[in-house]
Amino acid sequence: MTPREIAVVVLVAGGAFFAIVAAVGLVRLPDVYARAHSTSKSETLGAVLTLGAVAASYGIGFNTLKVLLLLLFMFLTNPTAAHAITRAAHELGIEPWTGDEGDEP
Amino acid sequence: MSDSDRRVARGGPYVGSPIIMATVRVVMPFVFTFGLFVMFHGADSSGGGFQGGVIVGTVVLMLGIAFGIESTRDWIGPRLPVALVGVGVLAFLFTGIGSVLLGAGFLEYAVYGDLGIPHASKYGIEFVELAIGVIVAGIVTGLFFAIAAGTTGGESA
Repeated sequence: MTPREIAVVVLVAGGAFFAIVAAVGLVRLPDVYARAHSTSKSETLGAVLTLGAVAASYGIGFNTLKVLLLLLFMFLTNPTAAHAITRAAHELGIEPWTGDEGDEP
Repeated sequence: MSDSDRRVARGGPYVGSPIIMATVRVVMPFVFTFGLFVMFHGADSSGGGFQGGVIVGTVVLMLGIAFGIESTRDWIGPRLPVALVGVGVLAFLFTGIGSVLLGAGFLEYAVYGDLGIPHASKYGIEFVELAIGVIVAGIVTGLFFAIAAGTTGGESA
């Protein structure tokens, strides 16, 4: 394997790992805030690593520039979307889960 | 923001978030450019007027979500979405019927080459894609404001 192939495999494996962590968090965590926390961080990192693998496999060129722009906007917009959702939830009066009242809500 | 202020904000007017506003300010011009890019790509690759129009319409939706729907509605005004739809339909019909008047079929762009327009077919398709994009952007914007008005009752876009 060439160094570029190794880099692509490592980046794809990392991206898939963080995407799976985000999916598990979305299913298992108790309330909207914890779920947004799981998906915004892990999912952003998973998508960014996968796009990095795409950029690495393209090599230097115009397509790589497009993928890097996509990566940059993923970094900007994904956490902002999570922030907007949790902010809307807070303004609607949804209380965060604290674990006081029994097990799972 | 203290807890009592937050409770006022729940039922009261929208209070903007600096994070969302800053991100929308940064991202908005790129989204608009990307919408036009998708529209003009419809002629010879993936993309087209419908997809690009939705992306351009999304710019107004982002403004509404970031800066409050009511203030965005006041800024856009009630006539602009309707005017966009009207202008788009007229441009489409003008292109389509214009080729009929020049003696060819409906939307047969090649005939515009006789008027001295280079690459008439290509530019004709792109012009029609742009018209479709303007229609779709106007409809998306108008529908967004119309649906948002439903929660406060009464007035339409």
